[in-house]
Amino acid sequence: MISEGYELLSLFMRYVFIGLGILILWRAYRWMRKDSRAYKKQMRALPDAGLVGEIVDLNSGKSQPLPREGMIGSSRACDIRIKSPGVLRRHAMFAFEEGKGLKVTPRRGAVVLMAGVELRSSAHALHGTHLQLGDALLRVRLFAGLKVPQAAQFQMDLTEQETEDAPWDEDAMPAAFSQPFAPAEEYTPVYPPVQQPYGMPYPPYEEEPQEMPAQPQGMPYAENMAYPDQYAENGPMNGPYAPYSQENMQQGMPEMQPMQAYQGEYPPAQEEEGEDEALPYQSPVNRRRRRSRP
Amino acid sequence: MKQLKKNIRQVGICLCALFVLLAGYGAYNMIVNGNRWFSSSVNTFARQQKKNVIAGDVLDRGGVLLATTVEGKREYAADEATRKAVVHVVGDSDANVNNGVESFMASYLYGFNMGFGERLSSVFRGDSRMGDTVQLTIDSRLSAYIAGIFPAGKAGAVVVMNYKTGEVLSSQSFPNFDPMNITYAVKNDPQKPFYNRAVQGLYTPGSTFKIVTAASALQNMQDVQSRAFQCTGIREYGPRIITDAGTDLESGKITQHGQLTLLRAFQVSCNNTFAGLATELGDEKLKKTAEAFGFNDNFLFRDLVVENSSYPTSNRNEGEIAWTGAGQSALTASPLHMCMIAASVANDGVMMEPRLLLSATSSQGTLRTEFAPKVYRTVMTESQAAVLQEYMRAVVTGGTGTAANISGVRVCGKTGSAEVDTQEETNAWFLGYLDEEESPYALAIVVEEGGGGGSVAAPAAKKIFQWMLENGYAD
Amino acid sequence: MSKEKTPRRKKDPARALMGPIMLFYFLAFFLLGMKGGNWESFLLSFAVPAMIYIGTFGISRLFPADKLLLSLTNFLCALGVLILYRFSPQRGLTQAVNYGVGVGCMILCAYVVRYMPGWKWSTVLMMGGSLLLLLLPLAIGTEKNGAQSWITVGSTSVQPSEIVKLALMLCLAYLLSQRRVVLSVGFAGACLLILMLQKDLGTALLYYGVTLVLLYASTGSLSLVGVGIAGGAGAAILGYQMFAHVKRRVAIWLDPWADVRNAGYQIVQGLIAMVNGGTWGVGLGLGNASVIPEYYNDFIFMTILNEFGVIFGLIVLCMFLFIIIRGIMIANRSRTVFHALLATACSALLALQTFVIIGGNIKLIPLTGVTLPFISYGGTSLVSSLCIIGFLQGIASRNEAGVHADRALASLGGELP
Repeated sequence: MISEGYELLSLFMRYVFIGLGILILWRAYRWMRKDSRAYKKQMRALPDAGLVGEIVDLNSGKSQPLPREGMIGSSRACDIRIKSPGVLRRHAMFAFEEGKGLKVTPRRGAVVLMAGVELRSSAHALHGTHLQLGDALLRVRLFAGLKVPQAAQFQMDLTEQETEDAPWDEDAMPAAFSQPFAPAEEYTPVYPPVQQPYGMPYPPYEEEPQEMPAQPQGMPYAENMAYPDQYAENGPMNGPYAPYSQENMQQGMPEMQPMQAYQGEYPPAQEEEGEDEALPYQSPVNRRRRRSRP
Repeated sequence: MKQLKKNIRQVGICLCALFVLLAGYGAYNMIVNGNRWFSSSVNTFARQQKKNVIAGDVLDRGGVLLATTVEGKREYAADEATRKAVVHVVGDSDANVNNGVESFMASYLYGFNMGFGERLSSVFRGDSRMGDTVQLTIDSRLSAYIAGIFPAGKAGAVVVMNYKTGEVLSSQSFPNFDPMNITYAVKNDPQKPFYNRAVQGLYTPGSTFKIVTAASALQNMQDVQSRAFQCTGIREYGPRIITDAGTDLESGKITQHGQLTLLRAFQVSCNNTFAGLATELGDEKLKKTAEAFGFNDNFLFRDLVVENSSYPTSNRNEGEIAWTGAGQSALTASPLHMCMIAASVANDGVMMEPRLLLSATSSQGTLRTEFAPKVYRTVMTESQAAVLQEYMRAVVTGGTGTAANISGVRVCGKTGSAEVDTQEETNAWFLGYLDEEESPYALAIVVEEGGGGGSVAAPAAKKIFQWMLENGYAD
Repeated sequence: MSKEKTPRRKKDPARALMGPIMLFYFLAFFLLGMKGGNWESFLLSFAVPAMIYIGTFGISRLFPADKLLLSLTNFLCALGVLILYRFSPQRGLTQAVNYGVGVGCMILCAYVVRYMPGWKWSTVLMMGGSLLLLLLPLAIGTEKNGAQSWITVGSTSVQPSEIVKLALMLCLAYLLSQRRVVLSVGFAGACLLILMLQKDLGTALLYYGVTLVLLYASTGSLSLVGVGIAGGAGAAILGYQMFAHVKRRVAIWLDPWADVRNAGYQIVQGLIAMVNGGTWGVGLGLGNASVIPEYYNDFIFMTILNEFGVIFGLIVLCMFLFIIIRGIMIANRSRTVFHALLATACSALLALQTFVIIGGNIKLIPLTGVTLPFISYGGTSLVSSLCIIGFLQGIASRNEAGVHADRALASLGGELP
């Protein structure tokens, strides 16, 4: 019924099929490796990836990077590790919510004081909010570009309400374009980007907060901020990345100046929009092509 | 989040491990059981393919044609005596014999191992598809001779092996039949001639198991060789009574051996001594030695399908353990396995895997596979094997097996007379081997309802060895 | 700059992968066409590769999609169509239609996961809905293969437990991300109970496995998982005592050769088909795997092993493995607990389902009634597997958006370069 010729052909083709299968596997494997490596490289270039700010331990002066969601406690498995008497192994959970701030939920049996008030269920912390866990005094600092309410005081959620209609924006536009951060009476949470290799919006510091040099009124940084030596000469207003001019601050509208060419180390541009240009790798995820701006 | 990511990574590794398990198990199954399942009778694909192929020839080690295809039909050896003698090895065309070469080595005989290139060239030449020629390790003349001298009318089995290489020279089951003349009488013979007793038959080994008991004593008890044992002829162990051969409780005649060494006890096959040894060793140690010899193993030989021998693991009381030492109780073994045990003693404690396939050659002459000896397991140390070799020699020179002695030749052996509840007479067993450089052969004979091992099985063994030495097995 | 740009266009990995896949199916359908000489097969040898191309690159134009995942998934789906078509053209084409429907659902699921702002109310709805859906077959359903888990609507039959599978993953991921362990275990337990009543033990096993995996991932407590495993073992033993057909299945698993022609026939024929295939396979179109009962859904892997060989079977296993590894990578890159857990659940479900069915085929574990994802014949099975891939796509595109946002945040003020 089946011709001898077909039989032979099919017998031959089975090697072809297996060969093609192995080729497919090999290429898929190589692609995965390439993508994984490129992603790691990308993440190295963005050390703040997935972070929303930092938490400063006021007693020791040390700061830890604050991820988007996680746990605070004394155990090593926690995202924010606080070793202090009174801090349970898993003390509280936190999660960043767009438009509302950092929601802190103490776990059962744990006492968390937000700006001096004991939390019953959960509350949203904004930039500069003080938290007290046991003996540890912490301060929340959030990145400039995030959408958080302006008020310097926190909002306490007496009842746990979560509104699901928070606007969702997929491409978080740089905040400076969409929302003005007016300098408040005390201090505003806006930090100008300082000259740094990777564009961190604020400088990390490790020493005790120092006395700041006198600044013109309305300067948009907090009093306690200290700059490490390498930035001392540049200072926030003098470096090539000082986008806030005097006039802008007085108007209350920070004007962003275009970034100037940087001569230091800088990771090469990872993304090219045009399709004609050959890419060093192709991420398996197809980024939506942006039309080039005029 | 950090902990979460770590957990997720661990989960990922577990999931990958699942897949590795799948692949590993599948591959293991294919390698170990592949041929066995392929040769199964339910494999309709193979049966369909067989119709398109001219099945290859089966030859014995001397080149004698044992099976061939003539005009689409399967024909067996020309000489009837030869045909009947090798029928349980070769099988028949209707697969009445389980796992004969005809079905078990179908992958060679029906050309399933043909590569693509060969198929292509054979099509171009216009040949029809032909299977491979399979050469077995069997010697058909030896088998014919053995069939001639086996006690007529009795059932049983004979297995002859080369203990250095593991080649099976003869594997026979009685009664046998003519594969080219399967009559109604054959199909309905109550002695079941289709049944291959050599590999499928599970018998109580009887006194031949004392080899294992003695090995266990040598392994676990110091100075057992210099100890003096006392045989009073009758002894109670729990609910059972141990007696020796020739004891008839009704008439009051009791066989007593008096004081013996282990060598003497082995020579005369004293049940009391070995029952005492088994009790002293304990069931655990004796079982461990038996399992080292292959009892309770799942035999997965590549050329043969052999039933598993078993050392009983339940209902063990003092009496049962005592009788196990003497080779009774619920022990079962196939004649092939007992031959392997004798072979392991002869081969200084190394048990070789029994092999049937000498070579397989394609119809164009390309060699597909060739025989290579494979070690199955090492059952005891060389020194222990040397002691047992001495003991087995003593049996033939001055013990129960003198009927097997051939002058000028070192014949060694162990007799056995296994009692079976459903039988009046005992099964006659003999395990033996030639301790000669140029003739490394071991055999096992069991004659159902044959009587005494020394009187029925040993003389047969002597004739077989003599024939082998005279007919080209002494070079 | 680190890399030099050569004047030639650098190889695009997506196209490099798509090439062999399309060639594979072109050759396969062409070969099948030469067997019977029917023109439909030749048509398919162009249509199927085109469909795969559209399925991968077309979808990635709709939303940022993970092309690697899509390519592998499409390969497996097309493999199912190929094998089914080889034995019965009707089934093959039905499977292709199911694939189309499945792709639509996949896009829908991807959008849902991508854009859904909050899952609280949806979870409550889904929990109630799934329990109802699971109870439905007990009320109005039909019985198939000893499990009363199908509902016949007109000419098609639907298995609600496949839909509930998706809801279960979403609900569990949400509940566990909110640390509501007790509630999640309760919900999973309720679903399992109803499934036991339906006697659909295979799906119950999957639900159980996914729950355990999620519990471990979210809590990390081995003691909880230990309790879970003990409970599962206890339930298994209980089920063995209580259900006669479980006893039968276990007996067949232990020794199918005891009853070769009746009870053990299916497994024995499956194993024989695997052995007949050997290393290289008997060749496409030359095997007789249709002797295996249910060769088109439960035992389809054995059919593939028969025609394509063990090496190809290992290749297919590797593809499943790559899909699962990719899922885990997506989980690791996610930015919220919920999405990480969801991605883990998706990967775990696919892995467990594949393990359970192939394990049953090769006699590693007793046979259960689950199907091989993507390849088995069956509308609900294919659609739900593609929906799972849709979830993964949604999470992957969120990850990408998150990276985008991070980069924007980091540069703060400049245009994106």
